[in-house]
Amino acid sequence: MDDSLSYPPIDPTNFDLIIVGTGLPESVLAAAASAAGKTVLHLDPNSFYGSHFSSLPLSDLTSFLHSQSSSHHSPPPSSSSSSADHIAVDLSSRPMYSDLDISSHSPEPLQHSRTFNLDLAGPRVLFCADSAVDLMLKSGASQYMEFKSVDANFVCDGDGKLSSVPDSRSAIFSDTTLGLAVKTRLGIFFKLVDGHLKAAVVGSDGGDESCDESGRISDEDLESPFVDFLNKLRLPPKIKSTILYAIAMADYDQDNMEVCKDFLKTKDGINRLALYHSSVGRFSNALGALIYPIYGQGELPQAFCRRAAVKGCLYVLRMPVNALLMDKDSGSYKGVKVASGQELFSHQIILGPSFIVPSPLLKSSPDILQAKLKDFGLQDFRGKVARGICITKSSLKRDVSTFLAVYPPKSLYPEQVASIRVLQIGSSLAVCPSGMYVLYLSTLCDDAIQGKKSLHAAVNAIFSVPISGTPENSNTDESENAEVKPTLLWSALYIQEMATCSFDSIFSTPMPDGNLNYNDLLDATKKLFHMMFPHHEFFPETAFTDPEDDGGFDQSPSDDSLNS
Amino acid sequence: MASRRRMLLKVIILGDSGVGKTSLMNQYVNRKFSNQYKATIGADFLTKEVQFEDRLFTLQIWDTAGQERFQSLGVAFYRGADCCVLVYDVNVMKSFDNLNNWREEFLIQASPSDPENFPFVVLGNKIDVDSGNSRVVSEKKARAWCASKGNIPYFETSAKEGFNVDAAFQCIAKNALKNEPEEEL
Repeated sequence: MDDSLSYPPIDPTNFDLIIVGTGLPESVLAAAASAAGKTVLHLDPNSFYGSHFSSLPLSDLTSFLHSQSSSHHSPPPSSSSSSADHIAVDLSSRPMYSDLDISSHSPEPLQHSRTFNLDLAGPRVLFCADSAVDLMLKSGASQYMEFKSVDANFVCDGDGKLSSVPDSRSAIFSDTTLGLAVKTRLGIFFKLVDGHLKAAVVGSDGGDESCDESGRISDEDLESPFVDFLNKLRLPPKIKSTILYAIAMADYDQDNMEVCKDFLKTKDGINRLALYHSSVGRFSNALGALIYPIYGQGELPQAFCRRAAVKGCLYVLRMPVNALLMDKDSGSYKGVKVASGQELFSHQIILGPSFIVPSPLLKSSPDILQAKLKDFGLQDFRGKVARGICITKSSLKRDVSTFLAVYPPKSLYPEQVASIRVLQIGSSLAVCPSGMYVLYLSTLCDDAIQGKKSLHAAVNAIFSVPISGTPENSNTDESENAEVKPTLLWSALYIQEMATCSFDSIFSTPMPDGNLNYNDLLDATKKLFHMMFPHHEFFPETAFTDPEDDGGFDQSPSDDSLNS
Repeated sequence: MASRRRMLLKVIILGDSGVGKTSLMNQYVNRKFSNQYKATIGADFLTKEVQFEDRLFTLQIWDTAGQERFQSLGVAFYRGADCCVLVYDVNVMKSFDNLNNWREEFLIQASPSDPENFPFVVLGNKIDVDSGNSRVVSEKKARAWCASKGNIPYFETSAKEGFNVDAAFQCIAKNALKNEPEEEL
């Protein structure tokens, strides 16, 4: 349909909540508020759902990245009086992407542009035991989606080779490359972790704090770095690296105090091990710990938006918001002005992460608000994530089409400060034409130069990149490597800003973070909801009632609801 | 995957707001009609078992959940549909004129592998209103449009009186089934 704004006026014009942008946090908030009985208007300037969390056809992806990279479209904020009791303050946006670098070595991917569903915020997966999966089941969003399991996990060892990440204890013990002494030490490690987790469950049930004797790991150990705990148990470097970076998914070099920004405490390390462990086998038809949605990650925001719509949320795509309406007396925002000129009112407004909220004439002190944010654990954290999308026609690992590979810090080059994660998705997940593969790369970085250096190192390690003039580029220097490197057909590398939740008289939702799953984002989203609606439950149990349950559609929330 | 799943056929119902999409679904599945119009809230999808040549199928009929009001149905809604039902109100010319937009929107968003032969079914609803005196779209005109778009099956219905609803949905089920590629059970 044409993009001209030939919409009828939006009716009604007063809402309990107006949300601009349909990224995952915004969509979850729309569904949660609608389920709590609030009237919600959900707007998006784009013609598609998902904002920075969407999955798009190839050419749409590049034009979205381009449109969000330049800063020329941000006019300085100005305000104009639009009525007696409020003024319209122009809303501007900031670029969320930079250093966009698109290389096309073959016309083929572009010719099939619409067959692609490329994730803007890849690589991303769900752990079967993730809180995101629980939230989808609880809210009913899961009924609109199907998942497939990620076939395998790999970690790059010191020699640049990818080796399998064992997904169970038995897999470790049947691993012939490990010596008996190592297996014994691993056995002790697992026994400690197991005992601790069991004791923690008993402790929380009975409220008995005196169970330290019964297997709990000491508080001192729990608060100390996980890497020290692993060292104490004398686990060899390879095992240590696998646990830290390919199971607990640590980002920065845990052995280097100076560059590490996210020291993983033993407590958190153990929780992540537990998440991984309980993910394996949660769904009878998911083989490993990780799953990926058919048609891409952009299905998630769409599923939550449909959930919201079913509960009465009003949806208007292709509707830019030009200004915020500020009450002249109180100085607080009370609505939005959309591109059609219509004014819509709500005392609660949520904006997507790329909008700059013009500072209003605040009556309440910003310090108080910042303190309130801190109370909720929502602190601003500035950083960047370097992302890459690569398309190829042969799998990086023979016999598996969908897998995750982690390149721990320093595994590709000495100055590599953070893990680089690579997710390959095959056409069975309906994200690319049959016979092609999409590889998503990401790594945290301080600046674009560092981020790009990491991405290039990974791309060069994974692919043979055709150089113009010399089409046949043989990598003779790695002749001992039996696997032939896949040829890169197309790639997009970019640097994404990492805005978190913020509250500056109006709530702003976070950008996709650098994690592999959605847990931190959804935790922040839930906190935002409770700040706005302190007296409402975040998706009450009754929120999802199967409409006219005629049997037929098998939707058991406990297990086996993962369709093939 | 693990067991023999009963075959699921996805049917989506498109058309302007207020033409009776939800009512048609409700009449077919629950044999209920409500005179009170409210913009669709709460309708998600309905399922109904249908039998066809000794085999049982589950027809999953998807409502627009109100997202059609501002043409804001996401691509996920259209995907994987086995049959697309286009509904208009015989008393409202605009709703008939928009059929073409809805059909094109579907073909773009769902991008079916064989767009020429993708099964659509057109329903002209509310023929009971004012005993047909307020009707503005003639059956002839509607049939001509259907014929020009590759002979789309056409039914005139009244969700209120249940007229022709079963026959229409039988045709919808049959066409959805034809679209489904033979798959290993």
